[in-house]
Amino acid sequence: MTMNESAAGTPIIEMRHITKRFPGIVANDDISLSINKGEIFALLGENGAGKSTLMSILFGMYEPDAGEIYIRGEKVRISSPNQATKLNIGMVHQHFKLVSNFTVTENIVLGLEPKKRLGGILPVVDIKGTDGKIAALSEKYGLEVDPRAKIEDLTVSVQQRVEILKMLYREAEIMIFDEPTAMLTPQEIESLLGVIRSLRDAGKTIILITHKLEEIKQVADRCAVLCRGKLVATCDVAATSTHQMAYMMVGREVSNEMEKEPPHFGREVLQVEHLTVKNANGFPVVKDVSFSIREGEIFAVAGVSGNGQDELADAIAGMADAAAGTIRLDGEDITRASVRQRNEAGMAYIPADRQNTGMIMDFTLAENLLLKSYYRPPYCVRGRLHREAFGRKSQELIGAYDIRSGQGADTVVRSMSGGNQQKAIVARELDQQGKLTIFVQPTRGLDIGAIENIHRQILAERAKGRAILLISLELDEVMKLADTIGVIFSGQLLKTAPVQNLTVNQVGNYMMGVTT
Amino acid sequence: MKKNSMKKAFLAVMGSEKRQNITIPLLEVLLGLIAGTIIFLILGKNPIEAFAAFLQGCGLFPKENYAGGRGMFTDFLSYLDNWTPMIFAALAVAVAFKAGLFNIGVSGQMLLSGFIATITVGYSPLPAVVAKPLVILIGVVVGALLGGLIGYLKHRFNINEVVSAIMINYILQYLLSFFILSFYTNPITRQSNVVSDASRLTLQDVMIGDYKTVIPLGFLLALVAVAVMHYFINFTKFGYELKAVGFNGRASRYAGINVRRTIMKAMMTSGALAGLAGVTYYLGYLGSIQPRVLADLGYDSIAVSLLGNANPIGIVFSSFLITVISKGSTYMSSAVSVDQEIGSVITGLMLLFAACGAFVRYKLHMARVSVEEEAREAGKAGKGGDEK
Repeated sequence: MTMNESAAGTPIIEMRHITKRFPGIVANDDISLSINKGEIFALLGENGAGKSTLMSILFGMYEPDAGEIYIRGEKVRISSPNQATKLNIGMVHQHFKLVSNFTVTENIVLGLEPKKRLGGILPVVDIKGTDGKIAALSEKYGLEVDPRAKIEDLTVSVQQRVEILKMLYREAEIMIFDEPTAMLTPQEIESLLGVIRSLRDAGKTIILITHKLEEIKQVADRCAVLCRGKLVATCDVAATSTHQMAYMMVGREVSNEMEKEPPHFGREVLQVEHLTVKNANGFPVVKDVSFSIREGEIFAVAGVSGNGQDELADAIAGMADAAAGTIRLDGEDITRASVRQRNEAGMAYIPADRQNTGMIMDFTLAENLLLKSYYRPPYCVRGRLHREAFGRKSQELIGAYDIRSGQGADTVVRSMSGGNQQKAIVARELDQQGKLTIFVQPTRGLDIGAIENIHRQILAERAKGRAILLISLELDEVMKLADTIGVIFSGQLLKTAPVQNLTVNQVGNYMMGVTT
Repeated sequence: MKKNSMKKAFLAVMGSEKRQNITIPLLEVLLGLIAGTIIFLILGKNPIEAFAAFLQGCGLFPKENYAGGRGMFTDFLSYLDNWTPMIFAALAVAVAFKAGLFNIGVSGQMLLSGFIATITVGYSPLPAVVAKPLVILIGVVVGALLGGLIGYLKHRFNINEVVSAIMINYILQYLLSFFILSFYTNPITRQSNVVSDASRLTLQDVMIGDYKTVIPLGFLLALVAVAVMHYFINFTKFGYELKAVGFNGRASRYAGINVRRTIMKAMMTSGALAGLAGVTYYLGYLGSIQPRVLADLGYDSIAVSLLGNANPIGIVFSSFLITVISKGSTYMSSAVSVDQEIGSVITGLMLLFAACGAFVRYKLHMARVSVEEEAREAGKAGKGGDEK
């Protein structure tokens, strides 16, 4: 705190009247910010509010169309990340930039390889000599990273600390974190926030890009709120409530509470028994998983990314083969059924990867809305497609689910926003009135309003007596919606229990594989 | 300001995004012709004379004089005869292309179907009413089977269709040359023996008025094929699945489409069209098979298909143009005395520009955005002024 006060009033970064346009959108509209040395400055906003663009400008990935940047009082033009590094600016991207079969040290020195001369002649990269330096840095900031470990053997949170070490090694004074907690468990988030605090206390300036209010409240000193490319306000975190911040971010009231009716479970719809799924290399990635879902029940699978969730969903939906075990829908064995047979038996699937799986981006909205029923009358009669029937159905869904696009049903989906793409997938799947609906990360990348909307729809499906399998990386979402939680770790369902019997911390422990 | 008025003019010329499907290929062709003009100028030839000679060679523009019994019409029908297999071949490439496949084996499929039709029907005494339909049938079946083989290798063993098609092309080229040279060669022409008139798809030496001409029966079939493929691609379930698989295989699987079967169907359709190209080429236009070589036409068709946006209607125009250049280059070469290969150079340049289509589209999009933005700002300023 003393650090903070002494540093107050000496801006290390000033961005003045920054404007950046992309085709059809103004990502940053005349934004002016001033960030002080030694503070944790949060950048808050919904997806598409322009946070990442603004920081990409600071990190030299884009050049602004207008505006000026001052670092330590000097006007600078940052035209590349290399130049940003020279100005002691570092960034941890949402998707790490690491070479997976290199060691920690090799990754950290990449681009700045320390050289020595073998026998005084031959120039070689001195990795061994650098290991010690990196171990020392790791110890100094309590990062607990082994410099000789290979990236592919490390968990996501350790990889993130490697990224932090990379910035420290490059002597970054200004550190930008882009959505650093998106992939972490609650315990890992705690420790990351601790690391961020200790970096601040060591005199670093931290910029935190996030849309999670709780984190800002916990660590940030000041916070700037962006909404649709414009700066709404810069506020003192201690003096502002999360409610006020949410209001500024969305531009309207958000109700955090959602009516969840008491459950009415019916008969079992989906039964998964001893399911094992192997990946392309023949390794089991889902191991002996058994669970069942009843009518009117939301069964949520919680877990850290990459623990077999995608494969589990794919196997149930018929996109991946089951190596062992059985899957029953409504008592019928569908373990070997094709994707289409499962669809027709009443299974709807909202996949995690909406752009590569859920949609054909070069097709029109109408063609995508009929992706699961194009071959049936009235859309197709004797091999001939009926465009009028396509149009009628699309109009109905566009109206009912409020899907917005430039040219209505004829819009090429690629040109639509992510939120509206997801609305279209949800519309198509829910319209099938299936017995079982699988939602995988249904709200990833969506803004608060859209998330709220999807949650309402999931609860509405539950109220209609549908069985719902929800697979999500967002623990909040799981805790909020689930009737029953199954925690997946390394392909195994470690714990299955009704939501009321579990606390967030217990679920977090199981997500890390701790069973005691 | 001036920059934007240039952009506006560019936008106005290129038209709406829908119209750009036509204007962009036209621009590509134009750029190719300009580049060709420059080449003729460098060679010290009159480009207008040269381009006119291309047209003259194809019977689209009158020559100064003709040999006895020949006229512009003779040249034109002979041009149609050459154009016919090109339409089929380019359609073959386009169908595969829609499904995300690259059928580089069109010339191999042409050769095999042409060869089998030649030795079975071409050298038989069958009457025309039986022989001609049979030739067409053999072309379709043999082509489809060979295309299907490539599709099967792809979906069963995941062998890249480009690699297997190239290998199969080599095998066929040498294997069939062996058979032709061993059993069917005409010692004078050094080609396979000419097929019977009854089996030939182009009627030879037909007198129309005073002119001796050829009648390419396959041409009508080619136009029918264009219409049928246009219908299939745009209005049927088959076309929908074809395009879905071509754009995104994983999403197609998610939609419940049988991706493997779709790939098979696409390759068989493509092969059948290539087979038709083969019989109209070897049993129509040429009447015999030259051993040891694959038809250039099979490779040129890839270019034609690209230039025509892999769209059946577009292919009619692009194949027309490219055939004018390839067929007309013989006459052009003698008329302005440059190498015949200049024709290939011009075709190559057009393709180079055709490959820039996506870039032009992108530039147009950016220009539109900046013009619209300026208009919006001007609108705002105008309003502000009124209020004052």
